[in-house]
Amino acid sequence: MISAPRPTPHPACSIAPPDLLSRLASQGTAEQRDAALSALAASASMRTQRSMLSQVRRRLGNEVANQLAGLDVTPERRQTIYDNQRQGRSFLPGVRVRGEDDPPTADADVNGAYDGSAATYDFYRDVFNRDSLDGQGMELVSSVHYGVDFDNAFWNGAQMVYGDGSGRVFVKGALAQSIDVVGHELTHGVTSFTANLAYSKQSGALNESFSDVFGSLVKQRHLNQTADQADWLIGAGTLVPALGKALRSMSAPGTAYDGDRQPDHMDGYVDLPDDNDPRNDNGGVHINSGIPNKAFYLVASALGGQAWGTAGAIWFHTLTERLQSKAQFVDAAEQTMQVAKEMFGDTAQSSVASAWQQVGVIS
Amino acid sequence: MKVSVVRGGGLAGITTRTEVSRSALPTAAAGILDRLVEEAGVREPPAPSSPSGPDQMLYEVEISDDDGTVRVRFTDADLPDGVRKLIEWVDSRAEKIHRLDV
Ligand SMILES: [Zn+2]
Repeated sequence: MISAPRPTPHPACSIAPPDLLSRLASQGTAEQRDAALSALAASASMRTQRSMLSQVRRRLGNEVANQLAGLDVTPERRQTIYDNQRQGRSFLPGVRVRGEDDPPTADADVNGAYDGSAATYDFYRDVFNRDSLDGQGMELVSSVHYGVDFDNAFWNGAQMVYGDGSGRVFVKGALAQSIDVVGHELTHGVTSFTANLAYSKQSGALNESFSDVFGSLVKQRHLNQTADQADWLIGAGTLVPALGKALRSMSAPGTAYDGDRQPDHMDGYVDLPDDNDPRNDNGGVHINSGIPNKAFYLVASALGGQAWGTAGAIWFHTLTERLQSKAQFVDAAEQTMQVAKEMFGDTAQSSVASAWQQVGVIS
Repeated sequence: MKVSVVRGGGLAGITTRTEVSRSALPTAAAGILDRLVEEAGVREPPAPSSPSGPDQMLYEVEISDDDGTVRVRFTDADLPDGVRKLIEWVDSRAEKIHRLDV
């Protein structure tokens, strides 16, 4: 039970701690709320103000905080980049090399991870009003130079990890400097906090596809591209040229590199076991993601314009509000159709239905 | 003796195989390989591999000799230090054979 509110303190008297302010904002009278939030607005430096408002916002949720404040409150990005110094898992995260307020360093991978993470955070905040991966403003932590010539980048459940690449699969230094690779990996974090799609077979391929979708959209927004201007490639230029141009093509799955096995239709679905055999890729999660990837590309192309505002909005709402951990392709099809209707109406719903039909997920 | 490392999964989903044969190595290097294989402990029955997180690399290490073949699998989350050192050493050798495994 909430106790009766106390008399309103004079707003200009002091800078109240965020704890007190958020308590006033959530439990006080309308006047107390206004006073508490005006006190913030009137009191501190812009940066301190933003930091405090961010905390209020995290406590109350974005919508409530914005309503109460009547202010344009921007949540604050927090990130730190570490150097793993090629030592691998036992030395994570490594040596701190760049914080949110620090200038660029001499290390291009440090700066690439910083810029890519910043662009991804800003994308989720500015486009979808989501404050970081968990929606609660969690700090983005990245480690570069992970392991020795390590040919991979991944989200380990708590932070980003980037290898240098061996020069046999990945170009040295390319992974941390590829904005859509960074967006792809951080989106695995968003997925883990929302639909938490099981990383196996179809639900795993959906998990992969959402990471490709939002990785590509982070890049498209960074370049201010419309759907018809985008290259729809994931990790362009990260593979050694002898292997191919990119890791995946969303517009033409199966064409990104020599040996790319991605299908663009259910007729080509590759049914692999999820048995920890490295050849089977958790049941083909990076293979069959070509099917939902192509569906997204078709929707974005049909709706036109900047894909993050249309198709991206449908996919984001579906990922964060509608899908369950065991979702299959047909569930993604049904939910995106429903969300399209709710957000944009019948024409958008038809475009989404048509896309899933074209890739053979629904008839 | 031959050591093979198959790597798959990962961000790319590309599978590669890297091998080194003891017979292709100079004597001193062959001795180092023996020691690294011993320290990697892959001749023990393997513990079951943990479920893989997104884009974690999947590993299969195979050691073949006259006594037969031992095969173990790991992910980035549970790759033991000794196995990691063995893989890094194989990667560093000019004698290795590296190719896509499809
Ligand atoms: Zn992924």
